[in-house]
Amino acid sequence: MQQQFPRTMHALESVFGFLGRFAEENSVPPDVSFVLNLAVEEFFTNMVKYSGSTDGSVDISAVREPGRIVIALVNRGVEPFDVTVAKGSPTDVPLQERPVGGLGIKIAREMLDGLDYSYSDRTSRITLIKNLER
Amino acid sequence: MFTISRDESGNILLAGRLDASQVDAAAAILDPLTTSCIVDFKNLDYISSAGLGILLKTQKRLGASGQSITLINMNKMIRDVFHIARFDLIFTIR
Repeated sequence: MQQQFPRTMHALESVFGFLGRFAEENSVPPDVSFVLNLAVEEFFTNMVKYSGSTDGSVDISAVREPGRIVIALVNRGVEPFDVTVAKGSPTDVPLQERPVGGLGIKIAREMLDGLDYSYSDRTSRITLIKNLER
Repeated sequence: MFTISRDESGNILLAGRLDASQVDAAAAILDPLTTSCIVDFKNLDYISSAGLGILLKTQKRLGASGQSITLINMNKMIRDVFHIARFDLIFTIR
């Protein structure tokens, strides 16, 4: 299943709608769907915030493979930003030293079973994998 | 969909999905808080880092004057998110 979304925060609801339809059509369990929604939201909103312009679109594809769900987000006309190595905000400091923000990628990486990043011709591709429990 | 409200006891009730598009709605209730209170997650199905951010901002502001928010009735997935973010070290979660 694949759909193109405007690279704006207003499109987030449509992104969730796409993921919801995919989950229903592919019998994705709720706990897996939760993780996929969270991870896609984090990466999509980062694309909106840091792509440098709201002109543009993000292609999202989702497929159920044996034992896992694979989702890809493709963002064109952008500088590289490797989400597999991006450092998030520190989580081991006292309350008043905790920065607000910078946790999304870290949480997504922890909850996913696989994350891949590739970049070429000013196009970023983020691939997320979440296993389906037997 | 997301809703945030206060009940008769003054507890804050979250319901639905607290994602990046709903942070302003959450802030409308959380930003004016000046004293400790309970935030009830029993009807909240989903939260992302944007939701965590507004809760952290609230806790930091209240913490500066010795106040805090206590979080109750989280579902398992939301509890896992809080654990990964190590928010269980800076919030009381029941």
